[in-house]
Amino acid sequence: MLIVEDLVKQFGDFTAVECISFEAKKGSVFGLLGPNGAGKSTTINCISGLLRPTSGQVSVAGFDVQKQARSAKSSLGVVPQELALYEDLPAIDNLRFWGKAYGLGGGKLESRVSAVLDTIGLADRAKELPKKFSGGMKRRLNFGCGIVHSPPVMLLDEPTVGVDPQSRERLFEMVRAERDKGTCILYTTHYMEEAERLCDSLAIIDHGKLIAQGSVAELSAQLGARDVLQLSGAFPSDETKRAIGSLVDSSGLDLELIAQEEDSITLTLSSASQHLPAIFQALSGAGGKISETSLRSPNLETLFLLLTGKELRE
Amino acid sequence: MNFLLSALIKDLARWREDAAAILLWMAIPLMIGGLITSLMDGGDGAKPSGVLLIADLDDSLLSGLVAGAYSQGELGELISVESVTVTEGTEKINAGDASGLLIIPEGFGDAFLESKPVTLTLKTNPSQIILPGIITDVTEILLDAGFYAEQLFRDEIEVIKAAVDDDNIDNAVVASIAVAMQQKIEAAAPYLFPPAIDIEVVEPPADEPGVPLALLYLPGIILMAIMFAANGLASDYWTEREQGTLRRLVSSPGRLAGFLGGKSLAAGVVIALIGGLTLIIGFLYHGVAWAKLPSSLAWVTASGVALFDWFGAIQMIAPTQHSANLVTSMLLFPLLMVGGSFFPLAALPGWIAAFGRKTPNGFITDR
Ligand SMILES: Nc1ncnc2c1ncn2[C@@H]1O[C@H](COP(=O)(O)OP(=O)(O)OP(=O)(O)O)[C@@H](O)[C@H]1O
Ligand SMILES: [Mg+2]
Repeated sequence: MLIVEDLVKQFGDFTAVECISFEAKKGSVFGLLGPNGAGKSTTINCISGLLRPTSGQVSVAGFDVQKQARSAKSSLGVVPQELALYEDLPAIDNLRFWGKAYGLGGGKLESRVSAVLDTIGLADRAKELPKKFSGGMKRRLNFGCGIVHSPPVMLLDEPTVGVDPQSRERLFEMVRAERDKGTCILYTTHYMEEAERLCDSLAIIDHGKLIAQGSVAELSAQLGARDVLQLSGAFPSDETKRAIGSLVDSSGLDLELIAQEEDSITLTLSSASQHLPAIFQALSGAGGKISETSLRSPNLETLFLLLTGKELRE
Repeated sequence: MNFLLSALIKDLARWREDAAAILLWMAIPLMIGGLITSLMDGGDGAKPSGVLLIADLDDSLLSGLVAGAYSQGELGELISVESVTVTEGTEKINAGDASGLLIIPEGFGDAFLESKPVTLTLKTNPSQIILPGIITDVTEILLDAGFYAEQLFRDEIEVIKAAVDDDNIDNAVVASIAVAMQQKIEAAAPYLFPPAIDIEVVEPPADEPGVPLALLYLPGIILMAIMFAANGLASDYWTEREQGTLRRLVSSPGRLAGFLGGKSLAAGVVIALIGGLTLIIGFLYHGVAWAKLPSSLAWVTASGVALFDWFGAIQMIAPTQHSANLVTSMLLFPLLMVGGSFFPLAALPGWIAAFGRKTPNGFITDR
């Protein structure tokens, strides 16, 4: 449904998106996961036609977004990260206007508009101006404006930012309902938890590069069943490395040092809790001081940490 | 076509929310018209003059400059400046003894040099019409010009600030700053200083044929309403940009031509309404033949839409809303002056009148 091939986007000398490829299928939610500035919005803007890609191809429902722009745009529903609403036009007229922009009209438009109002929970406030809405209500209307024409492909750019937990659940339900109707959804977020709950498959990007791709299960398998152990304190760098090396040699643990700084180290191993004493002993033997310990079982967040050596959200 | 219609309906619905502004665009010129008419009919031709009270709590070099700006040139002939305390000033303005009270807050000069937001308070006398309006416009232009001056002279201002902080102001430093500023001003003069805005009140020429003089002002007054409206409505392009709706449009298959066409038509509707109302009032007052109304209205609407598109294009190109508004005011005021809104073209020097006839405003006033 949505195919992105070797997409590159440069702003002057700066490369915001570097050769990204993925394919999102009909009736599935494809997650684009990455920290702030990873290039998620840039990718979405290249798909929606707001930005012209430096190179690479994008096709939506079989239409090339550059060569058959209008057909491609008609098949797309875009929910931008920044609100894009007429604050001084009643909610219902916002929906009507964007429906018309996508070629809807007559009874079809009216029935879609009232269905969307129900879905976004604004039916009883349809005649009010969005400038009088709360932030979360505006977000929901922003979502509604992007889906009023029932597009086969949807681009959702961090739709849950600034939305309360209740509205967020409601939004998840809307996304799942659309998926079950056969819509192909591209969903960007920097919340691993959202991606795990919602996405059928995922691409993780960082600094404009795609660093891992697959279903949640596949990505977890890549991580293995290994836990992540983060220690802070003081760790002399060479001694620490040597101590870890000799611990691996002597005990045969599947222990790996994935990030190391003066005041913190990150390790990964299976069933970490059983081996903590041995690790602590080896580290203090190497002159290290441990002031804080955190142990996390495997999830997408630790996968990101494993792949990049840094936290998804600082 | 369908989308054009929906864009038209959308903008009309949005602008209806702002009906107060639209009434204001109409009310100001009508009131000016009424005043000019009563001045003309009174026939004494005296210049209006007003008192501007200035409470300068800052008392810095900069605040002095701002206060001084009102007593320069022709403006100085219209407005006499009186320095007051806030309490005195408030009493006077409440008693209706002055046209306006400008309060320059403490720390204005410093805040301005450091590009911090600062608010000048201007209280105007609601019972007077023309002079408070002039004072407001001058204040806005001063602040805009100040903003650009600050951008332009940032380096020099830094040097001055450093020198003042050190308490060691060297004559050589001052001289070099002065030279640097002078050079920049010369280079930037064409952009920085809009054609000086004259506020003139013309004595009625003695030998005017048949038509009452006040009637000559009517088209100019109506066009002034139209220009205000076109300028005000054109800022909607910026609103569309800021609200993100222009971006949403680009990612939709909706055609830009339909979108812009719808907006121009919506502006046409508003302008025709304003033009129609002001024309009817003017026609009634002056007893002009009604047969001329449709053609007058058509002209007024067409040139209003042309202006709207022109101002709109500026709004779309400008890098910030601030600069867009500055550029459009720089165009608007000279157009109003030269085009005969404030005095009949016949009373202008030959070459200005020739140019004035080519402006949309003058084109209509010179019928
Ligand atoms: N118009 C632009 N000009 C120059 N650089 C840009 C432009 N738009 C984005 N960038 C840069 O491209 C990079 C990616 O930005 P992008 O908005 O795609 O990130 P993101 O993954 O959506 O982040 P966030 O989670 O904060 O929304 C950033 O470093 C940003 O500064
Ligand atoms: Mg983004």
